Amino acid sequence: MTVVIGFEGSANKIGIGIIRDGEVLSNPRRTYITPPGQGFMPSDTARHHRAVILTVLKEALDQAGLKPADIDCVAYTKGPGMGAPLVTVALVARTVAQLWGKPLLGVNHCVGHIEMGRLITKANNPTVLYVSGGNTQVIAYSERRYRIFGETIDIAVGNCLDRFARVIKISNDPSPGYNIEQMAKKGSQYVELPYTVKGMDVSFSGILSYIEEAAHKMLSSGQCTAEDLCFSLQETLFSMLVEITERAMAHCGSQEVLIVGGVGCNLRLQEMMDVMCKERGAKLFATDERFCIDNGAMIAQAGWEMFRSGHVTELKDSWITQRYRTDEVEVTWRD
Amino acid sequence: MAAPEAEVNTHTGKLEFSLDVPFPSAEEAIIALRSLSPDREPRRGGISKQLSVSGNTLYVRWSADEARTLRVSVSSFMDHLSLVLETMEAFGPAVKLHT
Repeated sequence: MTVVIGFEGSANKIGIGIIRDGEVLSNPRRTYITPPGQGFMPSDTARHHRAVILTVLKEALDQAGLKPADIDCVAYTKGPGMGAPLVTVALVARTVAQLWGKPLLGVNHCVGHIEMGRLITKANNPTVLYVSGGNTQVIAYSERRYRIFGETIDIAVGNCLDRFARVIKISNDPSPGYNIEQMAKKGSQYVELPYTVKGMDVSFSGILSYIEEAAHKMLSSGQCTAEDLCFSLQETLFSMLVEITERAMAHCGSQEVLIVGGVGCNLRLQEMMDVMCKERGAKLFATDERFCIDNGAMIAQAGWEMFRSGHVTELKDSWITQRYRTDEVEVTWRD
Repeated sequence: MAAPEAEVNTHTGKLEFSLDVPFPSAEEAIIALRSLSPDREPRRGGISKQLSVSGNTLYVRWSADEARTLRVSVSSFMDHLSLVLETMEAFGPAVKLHT
């Protein structure tokens, strides 16, 4: 029996989760939400995390009904992500690991998403679409590495959505992407936007510039509504993601797609991906908001796999890093 | 805590600042040291800090080119130190490991 506690705080969510042999015992989380029109800055986010982290840690232990002695390993997000919030969380993880006398494990945030997706959905060997505010990658497992088949060459798809939400000043509660999704359902007019797939990769910064300008022009002249723009943006962005996912599937001969990351909660994205999957006779896997949005249990799960295959992070090597490629991790727990 | 003033090292021309943090025991000072030392200073150059423990005290020594960088680094360190102390208070004392 192996019990791992995982600490996650690389963006505006701070979550701590406990996993025991594939069972999620607790997974409390808090989100730092900024006023409409504003994004979250590193130092403010770190301050938010710092204010709540010890409370969330107590919650994680209480909800799991465990004491520190019951934990076998302390996992935390080593990267990638925002520097100041990552440090805040790592400090607590390092300190409790020493206080409790438990080994420490630095986990790659992207690998955390993948491993949680695999655990929850039981997908066998899927093509993974990892889409969030900070990352957009198409990933497939091959020979001990999560290989990046395609990715954004500039900003993440979630970042594009979040920044557009700021332009039209919609609420960031519970998340800007969720509110865009609700508004998109009420859109009826399709506004043509640039479509920028580059081979296996995608680009979003041009679409963002275009739609920011279009919003100012078209909304003030009444040519379309904000709902129409939300609808058009989703259709465009998600079509691009479906295209590069399909391309990777064709390369790998894959019959499964797993969507992970916060943008993976979007039901329209899931719907569009499912249409493509059905056309190919493939199966789509996705998780709900508990696990596709950043959370501590996903770090615990990746940590569980890593710990059981012999990984450990020495304290002196436990520095955090804002850049940490998914394929840098040696996936020793899979064949 | 001691040493609230930064001084200019007349040989190197750099600003130096030191902080001596007493702990109830050497063990706790070492826990704090190991939690606070792994992360590197953020990208901005012209600043370095050294952490060490002797007896029950954590010693922190900064060397910086500019006052502004020094202020930011010290301020961050104080936030980090206080988080580590709060964590130790909430989840300590350290377990005795049988080696």
